[in-house]
Amino acid sequence: MVKAYRPNTLTEALEILSTEKCTIMAGGTDLMVQRARGSAVLPGFDRPLMFVGHLKELQKIYQDEEGIHIGAAAILTDMMEHELIPGIFKEMIGQMASPPTRNMATIAGNICNASPAGDTLPYLYAVNAQIVLQSTDQKRIIATRDFIISPKKTCIKPDEILVKIIIPAKEYSNNYYRKLGQRKGMSLTKVSLLGMADVVDGNILDLHIALGSVAASIVHSPKIEKSMISKKAGEIKEMAEEIVKQYADLIRPIDDARSTAIYRKKASLRLIKDFMENISQE
Amino acid sequence: MKESISTSVLRVDSRKKIRGEAEYISDWKFENMLYAKTVRSTKAKAKITAIKLPDIPKDYYVVDRNDVPGVNRMRTVVSDHPIFAEEDVQYIGQPILLVVGPDREIIYKIVSQIEIKYQEEEALFTLEEAEKRSTVFTDYNYKKSDPKKAFEQAVRIIEDEYSTGYQEHVYLEPQGIAAEYKDDTLFVYGSMQCPFYVKNALLETMALPEEKIRVVQTVTGGAFGGKEEFPSLNGCHVAVATHKTRQPVVMIYDRDEDILCSTKRHPSITRFKAGLDEYDQIIALDIDVLLNAGAYNGLSPVVLQRAIFSATNVYNIEHLNVRGRNFMTNLVPSGAYRGFGAPQTIFGIEMMFQDIALILGIDPLEYKMRHLLKQNDPTCTGGSIHEEVKMKEIVQKAVEQSDYYNKLKTNKKYQGIGISLFLHGCGFTGKGETLIKGKIILQKNKDVVILKVSSVEMGQGAETVLPKIVAHTLDIPIEKVIYETVDTGLIPDSGPTVASRTTMIVGGLLRECALEMKARWDEAETFEVSKIYKHPDFLHWDDDTFHGDAYPVHSWGANVAEVEIDPITYELTIKKITAVFDVGVPIDERALIGQMQGGIVQGIGWATIEVMKTANGKLIQKNLTDYKIPTSMDVPGIDCDFVLNPYEFGPFGAKCAGELSFVGSPPAVAAAVENALGKPIKDIPITPEMLMEIDNDH
Ligand SMILES: Cc1cc2nc3c(=O)[nH]c(=O)nc-3n(C[C@H](O)[C@H](O)[C@H](O)COP(=O)(O)OP(=O)(O)OC[C@H]3O[C@@H](n4cnc5c(N)ncnc54)[C@H](O)[C@@H]3O)c2cc1C
Repeated sequence: MVKAYRPNTLTEALEILSTEKCTIMAGGTDLMVQRARGSAVLPGFDRPLMFVGHLKELQKIYQDEEGIHIGAAAILTDMMEHELIPGIFKEMIGQMASPPTRNMATIAGNICNASPAGDTLPYLYAVNAQIVLQSTDQKRIIATRDFIISPKKTCIKPDEILVKIIIPAKEYSNNYYRKLGQRKGMSLTKVSLLGMADVVDGNILDLHIALGSVAASIVHSPKIEKSMISKKAGEIKEMAEEIVKQYADLIRPIDDARSTAIYRKKASLRLIKDFMENISQE
Repeated sequence: MKESISTSVLRVDSRKKIRGEAEYISDWKFENMLYAKTVRSTKAKAKITAIKLPDIPKDYYVVDRNDVPGVNRMRTVVSDHPIFAEEDVQYIGQPILLVVGPDREIIYKIVSQIEIKYQEEEALFTLEEAEKRSTVFTDYNYKKSDPKKAFEQAVRIIEDEYSTGYQEHVYLEPQGIAAEYKDDTLFVYGSMQCPFYVKNALLETMALPEEKIRVVQTVTGGAFGGKEEFPSLNGCHVAVATHKTRQPVVMIYDRDEDILCSTKRHPSITRFKAGLDEYDQIIALDIDVLLNAGAYNGLSPVVLQRAIFSATNVYNIEHLNVRGRNFMTNLVPSGAYRGFGAPQTIFGIEMMFQDIALILGIDPLEYKMRHLLKQNDPTCTGGSIHEEVKMKEIVQKAVEQSDYYNKLKTNKKYQGIGISLFLHGCGFTGKGETLIKGKIILQKNKDVVILKVSSVEMGQGAETVLPKIVAHTLDIPIEKVIYETVDTGLIPDSGPTVASRTTMIVGGLLRECALEMKARWDEAETFEVSKIYKHPDFLHWDDDTFHGDAYPVHSWGANVAEVEIDPITYELTIKKITAVFDVGVPIDERALIGQMQGGIVQGIGWATIEVMKTANGKLIQKNLTDYKIPTSMDVPGIDCDFVLNPYEFGPFGAKCAGELSFVGSPPAVAAAVENALGKPIKDIPITPEMLMEIDNDH
């Protein structure tokens, strides 16, 4: 048997965690697959389970002066339908999994799973989303890129719960997202590229590029981005070759069951180039 | 006026399936039932040097080869697969023993504690290696006319090679089987296509007399050939287990186990050498077909037969030399899969025709039409095309409905259109039908009629179509026709549910019986009509020389595929399929369109998305996370049309359909991709990875 807690409040949940190490389960769409042992036998959990998906405190999506707060247990479907969520992020979420899975899967689950193929991550890296962790006696706020250490590994402590994510309330004038999978629906990402740019009067005020599934973590370089900011949209086109070269050093994909390293690398670079060449002047 | 036989009726099985009332074998409960879990080889080729078992608790059992009362081989065409491994293992996933008991948790624990020691040996995996080392299971050859001389006279010779990959069936319901004794009769229940195959296998493995074995088909959630020969193996497993424990034993595979150890479509290489005359006509073909059969030959010889008898497809080539070889490798045995070898060679020849036409600067479709078979032409095996060939009409429809030539002209780079022509030989290959001698019984019982056949419903619609043939003939409502449980103790052997034979052969027998019953209807309250299949007299076949009519008749078709390739990522989108078929007469149009669409989609999957490769004998795509089949998002609009061409010996003129649907879309898609990129496609599946490499000048 597996011991499981279903706390009524976040406080109750944190209290349990302060005395006992648990495996936190939200939608379970990652956990139940990873721990499956065969049909009609229980999945293998070595610690008690704690369900958090039902906690109302963790489901809210709202805005204040800090930005848009997305509750950890917000499900993907709710995010897709919520007016506060930026359009490009909605589009990215809409390409994840399938409706039934999106009705279960939460954003915190996607983050804590810490997979380079996690499809919310390119956005969260690009906008420097802040992860809010809570324990009984402490609240920590960490940038996504610092929260995720390596595939499957985050810096969350056993007594902490990820309670929300804060993203800037900002839409970009140029948005580009491509998710490449083995098929058109219900497919894990083999390469993804998110490109966003703010262009005013032909000047690039802000620009982000983030790639999924092409290295051990999301590829996102504020340094390279910076070299493009305050350039003219026209100049960006000229820079494309050079910029692509810089990304080439960061993109270190692997061969696996879903694609090849060489394809991932080439496709990534071609997508970056395509994004840059198509940034519109307005 | 009476409705046409083609007018659709509600599927007999739809209600219970949609409402979740259909009971699959995993829903069955038996008193005192035990579960079984298979312990499998983790080595591709090895001697088993020791098996160390933990202490086995009370009520738990280990079942292995020593428990087999009869022959420890699975009976099929070549009975070479051990029921349980003996001294050695030949592939990863090969069954060694079963752990059986009442609680699955404890079974899992016992399984995890079993230690098997191996002495590994050098294994081989690819067709290329197998050819080099000549690990040939079966080597067939047939000739027509004088290929040697024709090649000497040819003014031009063009050679090419095409390859195809694995394909997993991904039936919705994984393999599941159960066995129990009732008194001293052994019952085996399960998800299967061929109850009598399972029975015949049990006869030898269980060493029981015929009357002590009954095999019962349970609701079967898809099969596609994957439940043709395989249930003979797991059927024997549970039978041996129930024999040892004297309790009912159930064994249901998880998807991952199913993918690991069940049969798959044979990977293939087909080599062509074409000899052309001064008018560019192909006068001679040398065809060399290589199939990767895996570790045991099993059913592969007959798959190979269909592969080589289909290798000239719809074309009349005067001089032929056709060779086919099944190779042994240390991989999971390949087996039956919709199309049964034909999709592999038809893919090859369709691409060959297109590629030669492009070399010659001739329109590929026109080039194909120049070589088309007509009625009374000789088949590749020297039989005859007895039926009228309506390919011109079929092609015209497909061309018009897809606006083929216009698109061929106006398509830009990365947009492509391609056409395939194809046929499928109906029913068993060669002597098959005359050996099986399918028997059926139709029983009148007051106002109901009981239909007794061994054909199974597996999602394809047999439970609707066969009663419909009877009801329509007798002029009674379909509800009055009862499909007897497919239980070998209650029904005659009308043959397996394979080879697209059910509607045409079994349905044809039912129609004959129904006609006789109709004439005699008032004779008595209850009586029985029975018939045994007889091949039409004008057909002849010699199994030693492969000469004659390999098939009594063929179904024909053309598919047009339209594709678009993303110039940045090389992702392939199939925009549309236009499909026209001659299946004689549709027995139920909606059921038929379902078959055609399903086959087309499965073909698209095989040709594009469904990548399955191995590394050192292990499947790389070993679960449904990594092995993908098309979703509704990947499926294009499919326009499906039929050309009527009644077959004298089929019920209401019906011919075969189920496999025909599969063969056309792969070469049509590949031809469209060639058209889009202007580069030859020699291998499927076609992936963005491959296209980016092919288009490397970009
Ligand atoms: C069919 C299918 C398709 C999928 N397709 C995609 C896809 O296209 N793209 C993609 O990115 N993913 C996909 N996934 C993976 C998965 O659905 C997502 O990663 C999802 O967001 C996980 O959320 P969850 O709530 O189900 O996580 P869970 O499985 O509940 O948890 C995942 C991890 O997060 C931890 N966790 C969850 N919530 C918290 C919290 N509040 N605090 C601390 N730790 C927490 C858990 O302990 C666990 O380690 C797919 C999964 C399936 C089954």
